[in-house]
Formats: sequence, C-alpha cells, structure tokens
Amino acid sequence: MKRALLILTLFATACMKWEYGLTEDIDISTSGRGLFICNEGNFQYGNASLSYYNPETRAVENEMFYRANAMKLGDVAQSMTIYDGYGWIVVNNSHVIFKIDLDTCREVGRITGFTSPRYIHFLSDTKAYDTQIWDNRIAIVDPKRLEVTGYIEVPNMTMEQGSTEQMVQLGDYLYVNCWSYQNRILKIDTRTDEIVAELTVGIQPTSLAMDCNGKLWTVTDGGYDGSPYGYEAPALYRIDPTTMSVEHKFDFKRGDAPSEVQLNGARDTIYWINDDIWAMSVDADRVPVRPAIDSRGTIYYGLTIDPVNEDIYIADAIDYTQQGKIYRYTKQGELIDEFYVGIIPGAFCWR
Amino acid sequence: MRQLSVILILLLSSVAAWAQEDIIDIEEITVLGTRPIRDIGVQQTKIDSVALKENISLSMADVLTFNSSIFVKSYGRATLSTVSFRGTSPSHTQVTWNGMRINNPMLGSTDFSTIPSFFIDDATLLHGTSSVNETGGGLGGAVKLSTTPTDSEGFTLQYVQGVGSYMTFDEYLRLGWGNHRWHTSTRVALSTSRNDFRYTNRDKKLNIYDDEMNIISQYYPTERNRSGSWRDLHILQEAYCDIRQGDRIALRAWYTNSNRELAMLTTDYADDSDYDNRQREDTFRGVLSWDHLRSTWKMDANAGYIYTWLGYDYLRDPGNGTMSVMTRSRSRINTIYGDVKGEYYIGNKWLFTADIALYQHFVESRDKSIILQDGDRGIVGYSQARVELSGAVSAKWSPTDNIGLSLVLREELHGTRISPIIPALFVDALISKRGNITAKASVSRNYRTPSLNDLYFLPGGNPNLRSERGWSYDAGISFAVNNIERVKINGSATWFDSYISDWILWLPTPKGFFSPRNVKDVHAYGVELKAGLWCDMGKGWTMDVAANYSWTPSINCGEPMTPADRSVGKQLPYVPKHTATINGTLAWRGWSFQYKWCYYSKRYTMSSNDNTLTGQLPDYYMSNIALAKQLHFSWADLSIKGCINNLFDEEYLSVLARPMPGINFQLFVGITPKW
Repeated sequence: MKRALLILTLFATACMKWEYGLTEDIDISTSGRGLFICNEGNFQYGNASLSYYNPETRAVENEMFYRANAMKLGDVAQSMTIYDGYGWIVVNNSHVIFKIDLDTCREVGRITGFTSPRYIHFLSDTKAYDTQIWDNRIAIVDPKRLEVTGYIEVPNMTMEQGSTEQMVQLGDYLYVNCWSYQNRILKIDTRTDEIVAELTVGIQPTSLAMDCNGKLWTVTDGGYDGSPYGYEAPALYRIDPTTMSVEHKFDFKRGDAPSEVQLNGARDTIYWINDDIWAMSVDADRVPVRPAIDSRGTIYYGLTIDPVNEDIYIADAIDYTQQGKIYRYTKQGELIDEFYVGIIPGAFCWR
Repeated sequence: MRQLSVILILLLSSVAAWAQEDIIDIEEITVLGTRPIRDIGVQQTKIDSVALKENISLSMADVLTFNSSIFVKSYGRATLSTVSFRGTSPSHTQVTWNGMRINNPMLGSTDFSTIPSFFIDDATLLHGTSSVNETGGGLGGAVKLSTTPTDSEGFTLQYVQGVGSYMTFDEYLRLGWGNHRWHTSTRVALSTSRNDFRYTNRDKKLNIYDDEMNIISQYYPTERNRSGSWRDLHILQEAYCDIRQGDRIALRAWYTNSNRELAMLTTDYADDSDYDNRQREDTFRGVLSWDHLRSTWKMDANAGYIYTWLGYDYLRDPGNGTMSVMTRSRSRINTIYGDVKGEYYIGNKWLFTADIALYQHFVESRDKSIILQDGDRGIVGYSQARVELSGAVSAKWSPTDNIGLSLVLREELHGTRISPIIPALFVDALISKRGNITAKASVSRNYRTPSLNDLYFLPGGNPNLRSERGWSYDAGISFAVNNIERVKINGSATWFDSYISDWILWLPTPKGFFSPRNVKDVHAYGVELKAGLWCDMGKGWTMDVAANYSWTPSINCGEPMTPADRSVGKQLPYVPKHTATINGTLAWRGWSFQYKWCYYSKRYTMSSNDNTLTGQLPDYYMSNIALAKQLHFSWADLSIKGCINNLFDEEYLSVLARPMPGINFQLFVGITPKW
C-alpha cells in the first residue's frame, strides 16, 4: 500500500522537463565573413530565432540567440542591421530591438518603447530611425543611451493604417517606403527629422534599395483581389531620389507578387523575387525574359546577395511551421549548398 | 433474467410510458448499462453531472480537461480554449446546445472557455462516427450540450459565491419555480478576475546596466500575467410547459456579455500600461422547442436564433495620454435556426428517425478601417450570407436482445455546396449479460465545409477550397458491472482509425498575407480507454473514481509541399500523443474530497517535429484538489468548498509564450434556502 502511494505521489508530482538558464559560450569571431538569418517564427508564438552561416566552411548554427542568452529572441524577428560592430535585431511583436555582440551573440543591450518596430537605420552613433507598423510615426532612437528620443509623424497616415518600412540613405536624406495599405515613398531630411517630400507609386511598395547610380528602387505588390485600397498590376520602379520622380516603371502582370528588391555588392545588378528569382542590370530598360533562378515549386520568402561573390541566397519557409530552408546558388544559377534554419527565415544580414 | 427483461421493457417502452405521465421527464434513463436502441453502436462519453456542477468558476474547457480524453488547447485562464477529438483539429469538433449548432460560422470552431459549466445540465461527447447521428462535419466528433428542467415544485433558489486567487470573484444565482405543468429557471453567473498571477518568466531576462549602459547583470523576471483580466456575465432563462400529455414546449435563452483582455506574451517587452488589448463579445442564443410524444412515435420541432457581436481592439497610448487605435475589428453574426426531428418505433426491434436542420447565417466582418487612395474611408472586411441544410434519416434495428444495427444517411447543403451522402453504419452486440459486456463498431464517411472565413476573409479567403473529407472507423468493447454489492465498475476500450483528406491550413501567400489551402492528408488513429469505479465502503464512506486515457497518433500522410518539406510522416503540431485524466471523489457524511489529475504528453510545435529549443512543449501533469462540506438545516442547505489548483505549483505551458498560473486557491460558499 505504501509503495502504491509512493508511486502515485511520484506520478502526480512529476514536473515538466524544462531546461532553463543554460547559456552556451559561442564564438564565431574566427569565421570572418558570415550570414545572419532572422527566422521570424510564428506570429504570437514567440519562437523567432537567429541562425548563422559561414559561407567558407558551409557550417550553419541555429538558435544562436537562445543558446547564447538562455532566453528567447521573441515574437517575429523582422530584420537585423550591423552598426559599429554590433548586431541590432528588430523583434517586431516583442516590441524590442536587441543589440548583440557579433562574435558571441550575447545581448549587450536593448531598446524598448516601440509600437511595432520593423527596421532600424543608423545615422550616427547617437541617432537612428526605426520604422513601424500600426503606428504613423518613425521612432528616433539614441543607440548609445538605448532609448527612444522622438518621433517623425507621417502626414495623412492613421495609426491603424500606419506602415513605414525599409530605409536607404543618400547624403542627408533618408528614403522610406510606406507599405501596408500605402503607396508612398517618403523623403526625410535627417538634419531636421522632417519629411520634405513624398512620391506616390503603386499599391504597397514592399522594399527599397539604392543602386550604384544613386537611384532608388522599389517594387509594389499591387494589393489583392477584393481590397478596398485597390488591386492593380504590380511594378518595379526606378526613382530619381533628388527630384522624387519615377525614371522608369517596369510593369508586371496583375496577380504577380514581386518582392524583396536586393542589390549585389557593386550595386549594379538588381535582384527580386517574383515566383522565380530575377536579376537585371540597374541600367536596363526592360525586365529580362527569363529568370535567373527558377522556382522550386515553393513560395520564396527571403532573398539576399553575397556582397563579395554575388552568390544568391533564397529562403524557403516551406509550410511556415517547420524549419525553413536556405538555398545558395552561384551567380550563374548553380545550386551549391542548402541548409535548414529556423521557422520562416525572412531577413538576412551580412557580417 | 426476469430483472433484465424488466429492464429491457422499461427501456424500449420508456418513450411510451413517458407519454402517459403528466409530469414529463425526457431525460434518457440508463438502467443497469443496457443499450437504448437509439444509441446502437454509439461511442459516447457522458460527463457526470457532478463534474458539471463541481464549482461555479469552471468553464466547459476546464471540465473537459479533467473529465475526458479529448485534447483541450488553452491559451490561458478565461482565454480561447478549443477542444479536439482523436487527433483532429478544433474545427472538426461540432458543438450543439439544446440541439442547435453553436460553432462560430466564421471560424468553424467553438471557444469552450465562454461556456460556463453551471449552465450545462447534460454534456455528451460523441466520438468520431457517432457524431453523424447528431450533425455533419464532425470529423473528430461532436459535443452535445443541453439544459434540462428541475423536477422540484414551488420556488427554489441557489446562490453560490466564490473568491479565488488573483482577485477572482464568481457569483452564481439560480431562481426556479415549478408546478405540475410549468417550470421556469433563471440562472445568472458573473465572473471577474484581475488574473495577474505571478510567474517566473523564463523566456526573457531583465538587464541591469551601469552608467555607460553596459549590462552588468541579467535575471529571469518574476512577472505578473499582464493584461489578462476578464469580466464575464451569463444569463440563462428557461421555461418549460407540459401543455398536455406528451407535449412540451420549452424556451431557453442564453445571453453572454464578455469583456476580456488578451494577455501579453512572455516574450513581450512592451509596457502593459501603454496598451489595451481586448476582446469583447455579446452573444444571445435562444431555442424554442416543441416535443410531441406518442406511444410509438415522437416529433420535435425547434426554432432558434443566435446573435454574436465580437469586438477586438488593440490600442496604444502614443505618449499624448489618449489611446489610439492600432486595430479595431468588428464582426456581427446572425443565425436563424430551424429543426424538425421525428422518431418512429415499430415494435421494439425497429426505430426509424429523420431530421432536417436549417441554419441561415448572416455574417459581417469589419477588420480594418483605412484611408483609400482617393482620400475616402474604406473598410477591409466581408459580408456574406450562407444557408446550411443538414438532413438525415436512420434505421436502427435490434433483431435480438443482443444485437443492434444502425444505418444513418446524412446529406448537407452549405451555400451552393452539396456534400455527397454522409453514411454511417453502427453495430453492437451484447456479448455477455453478466457484466454487460458489449462490443461496438462503426464506420462513416464525413465532410466538413470550409468556414466563412476560410472562404471569404479579406485578405486571403479562398472560395475555391474543397470540403475536408474523411473516413472514420472505430471498434470497442465495454462492460458495466453493477450487481456486486456496493460496487459498480465500468470500463471500455475503443480503437479508432480515421483518414482526413484535403485538410485546410492557412498558409502565407507571395503577397505576405495568409490564405487557406487544401494541403494535407492526415491519418489519425489510436486507442481510447475509460474506466470507472464506484464503491460504498460502509459507515457512510463512498468513493467514485473515473479515468480516461487516449493514445492519438495524428500523422501527416500527404505529399510533401516542396522537396524540402520534412513534415510528412510526422505528428501534427500541438496534438499530444498521450492524454490521461483521473478524477476521484471520496465522500463521507456531507464531506467530500476530490482529486483531479490530468496528463498531456509532449507536443510538437513544428510540423516537422524538430527537437529544437522551441520546437516542443514538454509533457506535464496537473493536479487539483478540493474539499467540500454540505450542511443541512431545516431552513437551508449550505455548502462550503475549498479548492487548490495546480497543487504542485508546476510550471507548464499549453501554448508557446502563453503563461499559465502556478498553485492557486479558491473558496466557495453556497446556500439553497428551503421555503
């Protein structure tokens, strides 16, 4: 009887097998160049993660942030930027930007106080901009003091419809695409933190890049069927940022979903996803007839180009509830490596 | 033998006998475990009424967690809780309340956290194929909830008040009146809680900085559950009238007003005082029923109406002291319901049934308000109406006392979609009268039509979706021993096997938003075990123990979505392979001690079942205890009850990033005056 009671008690009181507090000493300082991959994770499930890939050894390390810090990266790792030898990871639905040591992936600081951060762009050691969704303001932050110091309010934008996205800089001016239920490119004078001009493009410009000629590139997704905001053929735009005028518009078919405008290291070739992977000289007058890399029957979710050798890295989120896969191709379209990372790999950051 | 014959006659003629009584009790009487012809081959779990009325703070999600083997996925206290049978999804569980289906037509699923168990008098789980008797679309099964009249005459009153940890207060009042013809009942339940339980957040750390903003120390914070309060009000009005012999009219009306904050994730670094993240609901459900009973036939007619208003608001103070809207979502559902059922007995060997149910849904979803390109305002949302018809005929045949066969044919029309015939075949056999050893088996083909959000939600709704379809098989054996002095034992073992094709999943599109697609084929199979023991130990001591166990592999057996897809052959995410519950009560002279225990095995959070740091939720055990005392006076019955939940203060998660409370306490006092 006593034995039965003992077994029953053990059975009833057995605890969960969590392992907490175990930090790992990671050191990737010897790897030289490398690629950080932000895996968004599932919205509202807090399972974002950070992966690291060494292009030389082709070694991949997953869950770097969790392993180094014994805590989760958070909910929806949106983007990562390197500035002054540190990595800055924007975790959208955790309302935080982590500052990490690039060699150890250890956190060295964080900025909070955002509504819903998306991207960070550094202007100096003491000033950076952070774009947001569900907020009609771009946050101004002091990376040194790790705090939000002010806001740039976007005109004709409500908080509910607020969406500022990627940023590129030319001289004293910063350019921002407004994406969700928006159609604008903003020009901000970084000296005064004021929006000095804006350009209306097509529906929902998703990304932004600046080529070697100082031209701005954006691609719209055209909205969706039934959207009250409109549904149109998407387009790729080459923009003169000085005059804020469209130099060339490359039209796609209605229903296409181009995204992820990226440039090579020389910034003379532009890449984007439109089912397949496409590449085009920044001086071209028409979109190529054939893609650079054919689709593998999946929805490509992220794209980056190795700034040194122009290898092409494509993220495949598969079913969005398992570890996604990265495909690495040469510039000529030869598959040379593939590896699994975290859930929904979406953003890349070259070290 | 003579006793068994009497029982059988009682059972088969119960309908006829009922018609001859002035006071009608339509509850089915289970006598010594014999098999009503209506339930031939049916695999069902009846939730004990004691479990339903155990304490006023419980929702049906709580009750099912500890009293059945089905999986309850809870996002927290008084937060979305869905149930799924046999490795299927929550939308494969159909739920009826007094015969009317109450699944949200936009989502297809039901939130069991919004159903107070004190408002339910009868709860039955119909596993797999057995749900076809009740409704279509229950690829996993169906949950049948109903209210019944009390049999007391004159005025009755019951009042219970509860107070619990985290400033949780519950109040329950039931007023009743009845005579030989009329019975009315009014129930009111009010539950409020700050729900700010403390927990150690191991998903994040807090930093301590020096003056140069260098981190000098980090620690896991002990936090309170942030933004998790609720206030739920339920009112249930019932009126029953026996208008003449064999006829009864019943009106049941249930109103719910719910105001719940949505708790912040464990990985959220925002200041909760800056945010208001809240879901509000107003729901009215009403059913008017007419039961008409004659010696060999019976007819029921029901008319009902459901109104649901759902509001979701996510607000933030941008720093100017006013809360600005980040998300303002509204949905309004009106459902009109009508149902006619008939039963016809030929002797005591045949029963024929037919029923046809009509639902007309009107749905309006307004998800976002935007400024259009031309400067006007626009709404992102949809407005749709859908008529749903479900009709079934069945023949049930009991050629001998020991064998029963039942065939159900159901047909459904949802909008313009006509399902193929939904057939279900049941067979059972009484193997041994001594011990009531009964074998049961069934097979069915079933379909589930996509929900309105699946079809029309903006953005992403996919009007080209196919219905999910499945084959279900089960076979089992049960026994019930009631003839041992002061001991009752029962048990059952059931094997089930089901294949579901065209499983609907919401997946991102190249445009970034999610859209549903028919992507998966799932093979769900396993075993369900149930056991019960009731024992009169003498000197006033009684013991009642019930246990459930289920083993539910639920395997993705479709084609890989891409060559990189590693989910094929793997267990579905968030479906535990093993679940078990034990519920025991020891009673003595008005005292009762209850012990509840449940177990969920490891759940994968990734479709590929990867063993990454966040790829799984560890298994957990949960133990609750309660001690109660009933006091009987000439003027009133009093009750007092103390509960300890999560007795061993276990740290556990049901869903990633959703904190759950540790050990917590409740105290209830109740009074039932005697007039």
